[in-house]
Amino acid sequence: MTTAEAPDRADEVLRLRREVARLEAERDRLLGQMQHRDDELEIATRMLQARAQTMTSVIDAVTEQSIIGTDRDGVIRVWNPGAEKLLGLPRADVVRRRTITEFHLPEELEEAGGGLAALVRTAQEQGRDVRDWTYVSPDGEELTVSVAVTPRTDDSGAHAGWNFVGTDMTEVRATERMKDQFVSLISHELRTPLSSILGYLELVLDDPDQPLTEEQRQYLTTVERNAQRLLRLVGDLLFTAQVDAGRFTLQPEDVDLAAVVRAAEDTARVTAATAGVELLVRVPDGGLAVRGDAVRLGQACDNLVSNAVKFTPRGGRVTLTLEQAWRTTDGAVVDEPQPGAAPVARLAVSDTGVGIPAGEQQQLFARFFRASTARRHAVPGVGLGLAITKAITTAHGGTLDVESVENQGTTFTLTLPR
Amino acid sequence: MDAAPPRVLVADDEDDIRALVGLAVRRAGCAVVAAVADGTAALAAAREEHPALAVLDVSMPGATGLEVCATLRAEPATAGVRILLLSAGASPDDVARGLAAGADAYLAKPFAVAELVARVRELTAGAAR
Repeated sequence: MTTAEAPDRADEVLRLRREVARLEAERDRLLGQMQHRDDELEIATRMLQARAQTMTSVIDAVTEQSIIGTDRDGVIRVWNPGAEKLLGLPRADVVRRRTITEFHLPEELEEAGGGLAALVRTAQEQGRDVRDWTYVSPDGEELTVSVAVTPRTDDSGAHAGWNFVGTDMTEVRATERMKDQFVSLISHELRTPLSSILGYLELVLDDPDQPLTEEQRQYLTTVERNAQRLLRLVGDLLFTAQVDAGRFTLQPEDVDLAAVVRAAEDTARVTAATAGVELLVRVPDGGLAVRGDAVRLGQACDNLVSNAVKFTPRGGRVTLTLEQAWRTTDGAVVDEPQPGAAPVARLAVSDTGVGIPAGEQQQLFARFFRASTARRHAVPGVGLGLAITKAITTAHGGTLDVESVENQGTTFTLTLPR
Repeated sequence: MDAAPPRVLVADDEDDIRALVGLAVRRAGCAVVAAVADGTAALAAAREEHPALAVLDVSMPGATGLEVCATLRAEPATAGVRILLLSAGASPDDVARGLAAGADAYLAKPFAVAELVARVRELTAGAAR
């Protein structure tokens, strides 16, 4: 070794030492970073686990609704205690072993088009679907279940399968059927004696060989009026049950609404005169035709007019105004035609009656609801007329609106497409 | 000699209604040849009496008015009997079912006696006497 080489070597050693120190510092920094990432990962994992645990515990806590998750082919992946309870099979016997379609009534599925496609078609098109399906338990019991179907995605947002959330409606539907049968039976059983009462009354009232005294005629006319009232109530109850059961159908034809309004006026004229209420009718001279069920539209008009008369004190006025109008694309009804607006018929039944408190107007179309003003003024009724009128209007694609000021009067506006 | 009045069969399980219908039938100038309370008896009476018109309640024990109606239409001997159905069901579906079973007319209960009289007259007009 020469003397000149010694300082060079010392420098090199120094440089290497520094490099080692830098690398050690870098290593410590990286280790620190790694530890930090590790901690972060652990926290994230714990959070994910907690979230999954929350989800599982929520799903497991649902014991009265079946939650069934499948993959895209309908193979079951999620089966909660609600599903175990409803269909009587433990999770281990079902998950990855059975498909959702195995629990459906085959005939019903077939009728809907068959297979998983029939179950998920609407959910696929509209994002969700809720309807009644019949599940069949392993022991053959058929259950009516209201099933909400939604598509399921994985963490990347790709379609992963389907969720089927079911509520057992077997008892509810059975009760509904029973109620329907009960109403039909009762209405039949009430109409039969009413047939006798009204039939024999007619014979007595119209017997030219044995004329009645004026007093007898007055008494029997009162009996007849009340029997007719009972008959209308039975009809209303039956109609309401039909709407509930989805058995309410329209017999559409071209109907002159002006004639319907005049007929309603005719029906109400005597009652209005007796009550000291003036009846005014404004209809277009040439009539106003709509497509609808003449009998049901007549019933709707009769209800509105008889209500208006009932709720108007002596000396008041009921006005029926029928006119052509137009419904714009945003739903407003205007007097003059506009581009894109559809022609409608608008019937306004206005009275100068007791009115309906503002806070009660929302409930007005609910069945059996009676406004406090109706009860306070002892106006007879059971609260079915407006519910029925609303059902008829809706079935015709129309709308029924109310504007009312207490102690000033009420206007019901029935709007029907033309 | 006066022609015999048209012969009418009345079937209703309600005694009061059966009597009321009988009254309306007589007011229409017809004769009640049988007044029975169930569907089986209505069929037997129709086969035996060959009435011009049968006024049948829809809801009867034994056989319903709709069943009696369909059976009468299916048998050559009774296929020509005019049939008026009476029913407490008054929906368009009820009427359609009655007419599909082969009834000539359908009247909902409660009916106006005057209307029943008019229907009976109309359905027995020109009937063999």
